[in-house]
Amino acid sequence: MTSTRQMVVTLCIVAVICSIVLSFVYAFTSPIITETKKNLTLNGLKEVINSQEFVEIIPDTLWRAVDSSGNDIGIVFRVFPQGYGGPIPITVGLDFDGKITGVRIASAAEGLKETPGLGVKITEPDFRKQFIDKCAPEVRLRADGGEIDAITAATISSRAVTEGIRKGIETYINYLKEKYDKGEVFPDAQQFVEVIKDTLWYAIVESDTIGIVFIGVTQGYVDCIKFIVGVDNNEKITGVDVVYSNETEGIGETICDEEFLNKFKEGMPEAITGATISSQALIDAVEENLQRFKEYLK
Amino acid sequence: MRRWQLFTRGIVKENMVLVLMIGLCPALATSGTVRDGFGMGLAATFVLLFSNIIISLLRKKIPNEVRIPIFILVISTFVTIIDYFMQAFQPDLYRALGVFVPLIVVNCMILGRAEAFASKYSVLDATLDGLGVGLGFTLALTVMGAIREILGNGTFLGIVIFGEGFKKSPVIFMILPPGAFLVIGVLKALINKYVRKEIR
Repeated sequence: MTSTRQMVVTLCIVAVICSIVLSFVYAFTSPIITETKKNLTLNGLKEVINSQEFVEIIPDTLWRAVDSSGNDIGIVFRVFPQGYGGPIPITVGLDFDGKITGVRIASAAEGLKETPGLGVKITEPDFRKQFIDKCAPEVRLRADGGEIDAITAATISSRAVTEGIRKGIETYINYLKEKYDKGEVFPDAQQFVEVIKDTLWYAIVESDTIGIVFIGVTQGYVDCIKFIVGVDNNEKITGVDVVYSNETEGIGETICDEEFLNKFKEGMPEAITGATISSQALIDAVEENLQRFKEYLK
Repeated sequence: MRRWQLFTRGIVKENMVLVLMIGLCPALATSGTVRDGFGMGLAATFVLLFSNIIISLLRKKIPNEVRIPIFILVISTFVTIIDYFMQAFQPDLYRALGVFVPLIVVNCMILGRAEAFASKYSVLDATLDGLGVGLGFTLALTVMGAIREILGNGTFLGIVIFGEGFKKSPVIFMILPPGAFLVIGVLKALINKYVRKEIR
C-alpha cells in the first residue's frame, strides 16, 4: 500500500516533467507552424489572382492583391459556405471590374468534407473555371437563373459553392472601391517610402523628402469616408482624393467631384451647400490629420 | 528468439486491428488513402514506442493506485509532440487526419500496451513490443488505405493507375465508411485462413 503523499508527489513530478518537455517542443515548433500556415495561405491566394504580394485587410479573410510596383490589382477573399458534409473553404480573387479572376476550393486532403466521388468534384477545374470572368449577378446555378452548370448528383455542393461565392462578392465588393494612387495626390514625387504601414508615406525626389502622403478616415453621412492627401514641405496641399465613400448619390457623393477636391490645393474649402455633413466631415478630417502628421514634414 | 517473437507477434499474428480488433475507430476513419493510413500508423507508432519506453523505465517508481493517470499523462505528452510536429512539417496530412491525431490519446491499443506489457517488462522488451505493435498497426492501415484508394479513387499515393476512365467513375463505395468495414472483414478472413490456422 503506497502512502497518499507518495502518490501525489509522483503524479506531480511526472506532470511537471511532461509540461516542461511540451513547453520546449512548443517553443521550437510554434514559429514553424505559423510560417507553414502563412505559406499555405499565401500559395492559395496566388492561385486565384496574378499577384505576388498581399496586404491583409481582415485577418484570414480578406486581402488586397498588389503587383510588383505596388499598385492594387484586386482583392482576394475567403468564404466557408455550408455544403453537404460541412463548410467548404473557398478562396476567390476579384479584379477591379468586380470580375472573378480565379476560384480555389480546398481539396479533401485539406479538410473538404464533401462526399468522395460526388461533392468532391467541385474542386475539379471543369467546375471552377466556369466562374472566371463572371460578375456577381451571373454567379448562380442555371436552375436559379444564372450561368453556372451544377455537377450532376452534387447539386447541394454546387449550389453551396455558387451561393457562397456570390454572397462573398456582395460582402466584400465595397473594398474594391478602395483603389488609390499616391502619385495622383502628389504628382511631383518620384517615389514613395512607407513610414506608417498603409497610412503614411514620404514623397521622395532624388533622395530628398519633399513632402508626405497620408490616408485618413472619417465618418460621413451614410458610411465612413476614406481619403488620401498629399502635403509638401511648406504644408501646402498637393492633392486630395477620396479613396472610399458611400454617401448619398447626387448629394453627399459630390465630395468625390474633381471641382471640390481641387479646391483643397488653395487652402481649406467651404462646405458644399446641400452636402454639408459629408463635405464638412471631409474638410475637418483633412485638417485634423494634417495637424497630426505635420511633424513628419522636414 | 523470445525477443524476436516479442517484436514479430504484433505485426501479423496479434495484429491490433485485423486480429484483436482494437483501435478500429482511427483504422476505419483514416484509411481512406495510403498516405493518410500510413501517416496515422506512423504517428501512433511514435506514441506507442516512446510511451512504452518511458513507462517501462518508470515501472518501479509508479505507485499502483495512480498508474493510469500517469500512463495517460505520458501518452498525451507524446501525442501533443507528434501533433505539433505534424502541424509544422506535414500540414496537409495534419488537416486530412483532423481530430484523429489528438484522439490517439484515447486509443486503447496504446493504453493497453502500457498497462498489460510496458509496466511489467524491461525497457528492451517494451521497445520491441511497441515497435512490433506499431508496425502492425501501420501495416494494417496502409494496406487498407491502398485497397480503398485504388478501388475507390483509382489512384495510389495520388498517382492514377487504371487510367482516367476508371478515375472518373471508381467504386466510390470503397472510399466511404462501409468500404472500410468490408476491407477489414476481408483482410481478417484472409489472416484467419492463412496465418492463424490454430483457430479453425
